[in-house]
Amino acid sequence: MPGRSPKVVVHEVSVTFESHGRSATALDRISLQAGVGEFLCIVGPSGSGKSTLLRVLAGLVEPSGGQVRIEAEQPGTPLTAMVFQEHALLPWRTVRDNVTFGLENRGVARAEREARAREMLAMVGLTRCAQHYPHQLSGGMKQRVGIARALATDPEVLLMDEPLAALDAQTRTIMQEELLRIWAALGKTVIYVTHSLEEALLLGDRIVLLTARPGRVSQVYPVDLGRPRALEIRGSPAYGALLEKIWSQLREEVVRAMAEDRGGDA
Amino acid sequence: MTAPGRWVAEHWIAVGSPLVSLIAWEWASASGVLREAFFPRPSTMFVHLVQLSADGTLWAHTARSLVRIGWAFALAAVFGVGIGLAMGLWRRLRDGLDPVFAVIYPIPSVLFLPLVSFLVPPGEIALIVTTAVTSFFLVAFTTTHGVRQIDRLVVEAAVHYGARGPRLFASVLLPGALPFIFTGLRLGLGFALIVVVAVEIVSASTGLGALLWLSWQILKVEDMYATFFVIALLGAVLSYGLSALRAWLLPWVQDVAEP
Repeated sequence: MPGRSPKVVVHEVSVTFESHGRSATALDRISLQAGVGEFLCIVGPSGSGKSTLLRVLAGLVEPSGGQVRIEAEQPGTPLTAMVFQEHALLPWRTVRDNVTFGLENRGVARAEREARAREMLAMVGLTRCAQHYPHQLSGGMKQRVGIARALATDPEVLLMDEPLAALDAQTRTIMQEELLRIWAALGKTVIYVTHSLEEALLLGDRIVLLTARPGRVSQVYPVDLGRPRALEIRGSPAYGALLEKIWSQLREEVVRAMAEDRGGDA
Repeated sequence: MTAPGRWVAEHWIAVGSPLVSLIAWEWASASGVLREAFFPRPSTMFVHLVQLSADGTLWAHTARSLVRIGWAFALAAVFGVGIGLAMGLWRRLRDGLDPVFAVIYPIPSVLFLPLVSFLVPPGEIALIVTTAVTSFFLVAFTTTHGVRQIDRLVVEAAVHYGARGPRLFASVLLPGALPFIFTGLRLGLGFALIVVVAVEIVSASTGLGALLWLSWQILKVEDMYATFFVIALLGAVLSYGLSALRAWLLPWVQDVAEP
């Protein structure tokens, strides 16, 4: 994170879940930082607590140890806004009312809410769907609404939990380019969880690789592939080399996690 | 295809099957396959239906039953939705009430009439309360389930975006349960009609149940069938009415996801 002041500082954060009298450590003394305006990607095998880490940042899960600090620059806006994997829109609200939901709960006046919703819907290309209900939209459009809902609250940090995982390959590719465009336009700090290395390499400034059960930081890789980035980057030798390097490490983690699963402690 | 043409193409079975049944019945009674004394022709019944409604008897009885159904349904809806929501939200209340409801619910509704008559003034009020009992359980059950089946991720997202307490209830828990509440209301309304007829047969001199029973006792079979017909029609109208109301009030419910 050269040359950037820290926006998010995660210090020695641990999360332990209790269930049926047994405790399981999801996150084990995780420390990481994200700089102002950075696009930080978090990858790791399933069971590495990627989503749990985001939920800690979102304030939805209380850590058992350690601290999270998020630098607030502008008063009156939320620290974080999350884009959920399964979009998690409210089915009984129209697209517009989903986008204004966070503002409504913060007591923002109607006129301002609606102006903000128009702006955000224009940004994600859904102006004409403002009065639709979520069930009338495709998967990609729902996720655009999820992104507009998060951005409408103007958060300090945008959290994204595998937002494109449920989409088909073509839609995912289009959405990745859209995300890069929006991020470049707004300059938000983004913490982005994904299981796809290719996606992390296309989007991220740095990639944090987590280990599985418990989740620890294995490695942090800077993605020195320049900006702006587009899909063509996948043909470059630097991309291939970095992908190879991270994958060999991730592969080890995945194999280890699978061996533990077979070991029968679960 | 023209609009009416499409309507016929989609609905011909729904319209055709009762028509064919009526024609078959007409033929069976006329030809002596069915004894006309017990199974009069639909055309004769229709004449009696017109006569009964012309002299006002039918309307008076129907009105009596409708008022009772209305009160019973209102009671069941208010208490059923209220207690159902509370049970959906608070686990301890659910744990406490579930076994009690499980024991009371299967008891045939009419059997509550003597019990209810000890608790409230016998007569009209006892009749209405008895009618409400089964509907109340149906509405309470479906409402509880409606709250419980709301996607946890949607609730989590709403909390993340700042909805707490009453706001969370009004913007997520209540609308999320509404499709199920409507299903419960529809079932409850249907049961209110069934039970009110039963209760009127047992202990009333007015209402469709009483008219039905009286017609049977004095062997005015055509009037009995005419009353049958009105009860059936009433059931269909009330059920479709609530369905239409739901579609109008909850446009966001996908038609494929009918609970």
